[in-house]
Amino acid sequence: MDIFTLSLWAIATVAFAASLKKNKKKTFESIKMARGLMKGMIGQIIGILFLIGLILTFIPPETIKELLGKSDALVATVAAALAGSVTLIPAFVAFPLVGSFVNVGADIVPAVAFLTTLTMVGIVTFPLEKQEFGLKFTLTRNAVSFIFAVLIAISMGVAL
Amino acid sequence: MKILELMRRNKLLVFVFVAYAFLFSVMPDKAYMSVNNSMYYVIEMLEIMPVIFVLTAIIETWVPKEVIIKGFGKEAGIKGGILSFILGSISAGPIYAAFPVCKMLLKKGASIGNIVIIMSAWAVIKVPMLANESKFLGMQFMAIRWILTVISIIAMSLIVASIVKEKDIPGSGTVGPEHITGVAVNRSYCLGCGLCANLSPDDFEMAEGKARWINGTLEDDDIFRLRTVMGKCPAKAIDFN
Repeated sequence: MDIFTLSLWAIATVAFAASLKKNKKKTFESIKMARGLMKGMIGQIIGILFLIGLILTFIPPETIKELLGKSDALVATVAAALAGSVTLIPAFVAFPLVGSFVNVGADIVPAVAFLTTLTMVGIVTFPLEKQEFGLKFTLTRNAVSFIFAVLIAISMGVAL
Repeated sequence: MKILELMRRNKLLVFVFVAYAFLFSVMPDKAYMSVNNSMYYVIEMLEIMPVIFVLTAIIETWVPKEVIIKGFGKEAGIKGGILSFILGSISAGPIYAAFPVCKMLLKKGASIGNIVIIMSAWAVIKVPMLANESKFLGMQFMAIRWILTVISIIAMSLIVASIVKEKDIPGSGTVGPEHITGVAVNRSYCLGCGLCANLSPDDFEMAEGKARWINGTLEDDDIFRLRTVMGKCPAKAIDFN
């Protein structure tokens, strides 16, 4: 375990002990809730993790590098942002998936665009959002989020 | 029946499982290679998952979300903006879990700009998720993306607020106490966390991964008890009808 993960474990342990000491009942209630949330995601988590193995075995790193690294950066970025908009997987499992692509040489600009639109732009949840907030709000918010996701990605490319 | 239901909810897992089963029978060497490739990510995930789990629970317990929501009125300017950022960042669940909360805040007079901040922060900035991002993509990556995202969210809230006005957003009436006939769980928003069924097993049960109200008669003290449970629902998916 690296130092970062270790320190997180330390923080979580101390916080958990303090929480237990302060209010046992409330702590267990929220642990149950968090466990329920995790249970809802665990199938997808395991699925994605083992899918990464399949992808890395059958799509050679050179191909990933070619498609998401050396090809036209803007096209790759917009395509990644579109993919993120239509995909509905929890951000939680998106990080290892994107990490695996970056590790074999994918450019980070499309990676960032995918991560940002994945959580901020929702084509699948569009009808739900429209029902609550109206067409104009939903359309504007999603369009603006898409544009900013691409801008964030390009700035990341410049900064890193 | 139960197995079919489980399979339906875990399509991806079933697909990956079938792919592996096929691979092990046809090209076992490729299958072993895939498992090996995945193992690194499985181990990394196992190292970080309990921490994220505990942090989510602790934030949910000790950050006074109710106080923030109660104190959220027409507060404009920097204070309202900061409150919006905090509310979005501490909440659990995907962006659509923010919809009912935002709708409620709009009725209380929150500005459109602040609603955009809450929804965007809810989607992208979450403390336990930042830990996960650092783990798989590096701390520098996470930090720079965080800074850029915060700046973008501020710009987005200003842009959306200048285009969309309050009259563009459909209103919906709240149910008054004299009209309460039952309890409804909005299945689109329910995260299936099971908190309501744990807190009040006589009123709620879990079915097909979502909460369900157990029909019964509603007395005044039931309504009071149910309100407490509704307030605790992380997605605010339970309401009277």
